[in-house]
Amino acid sequence: MKMRVLEIAGNLRAKNEALASRLRERFAKSGTLVVNVLSSPGSGKTTLLVHTLSRFVSRYRTAALVGDQATDNDAQRLARSGAPVHQITTAAECRLDADMITKALAEWPQDELDVLFIENVGNLICPAEYDLGEDLRVVLFSVTEGEDKPLKYPLAFNTAHVILITKCDIADAVEFDRDEATESIRSVNPEAAVIELSARTGDGLAGWFALLEERVAEKQRLDRTEYLSTVTQ
Amino acid sequence: MHEVGVALGLLEGVQTTVIDRDVERVCTVNVRLGALSGVVRDALLFSWDVVTKETICEGSELRIEEVPLVVYCERCGTQRAPAPGTGLVCPQCRSVSSNIVRGREMELVSVEVPA
Repeated sequence: MKMRVLEIAGNLRAKNEALASRLRERFAKSGTLVVNVLSSPGSGKTTLLVHTLSRFVSRYRTAALVGDQATDNDAQRLARSGAPVHQITTAAECRLDADMITKALAEWPQDELDVLFIENVGNLICPAEYDLGEDLRVVLFSVTEGEDKPLKYPLAFNTAHVILITKCDIADAVEFDRDEATESIRSVNPEAAVIELSARTGDGLAGWFALLEERVAEKQRLDRTEYLSTVTQ
Repeated sequence: MHEVGVALGLLEGVQTTVIDRDVERVCTVNVRLGALSGVVRDALLFSWDVVTKETICEGSELRIEEVPLVVYCERCGTQRAPAPGTGLVCPQCRSVSSNIVRGREMELVSVEVPA
């Protein structure tokens, strides 16, 4: 049978990228620092965010969006911090995307925020592909997960601005090899800030808070039009 | 799960392309997937068969071109292909590159339809 070939220059990410850049413009206008938090299930995203929201809610206009495939347990845990929290149930989808964030913000309007935390679905593959218009992509991995995790999920770790090694209070008990972990991180991302912490004991949280506070201040200092011209380049 | 989403994205892309172009059925869909895309080939093929049921793409072949990871190594001043599982480390000089040249592709390339 004779065939004809229809060429398509179709980047599957194009639609999400367009929506993400619209979100980025919107957050630039409102001066909102957006933090997208990624990790495997069970690395401690929710626990870290409970502590982070508790600190931030009294200092900044802070809110959180939480993506989960089922249940609103995490949203309930986060809401105890006193910050406004909105759940996105993703059902079959294994990640959040820019469309879900746009729709969530339409049905849950927040007055101009200083910081919006987004807890992504626990997964290191799919969420890595989807830009949510964030300023900071934060990837967690706990000391129980194996030092080579960054090598197994290179895209997530490569695109991270901040990498948090969590549950450090039990590092010795699980014979966590810090040098090996650092080497795996640096093999995929030479530039990200790396912070070791334990949300349970509070060790290392000060460094994490300081980094965020610096970024909030930076985002608000920037003249918004100037910021817009840099993000659209 | 990831693959179902990717398959749906592909299907939507194909449907947009063939609309108004007098196409009755699609025989082959050519795509390009980078090593970093995290897409599992077999899972995507399976998902394709499922999501294309009762669409213009039902029964079509999904042809996947896998693109290996290539980085630009600044120290060597050239492109290098890191071995799988070694991150972005140059196989020659062992320095780490953050400049990914290829390997992130998730692209729909073309569709083949009866002439």
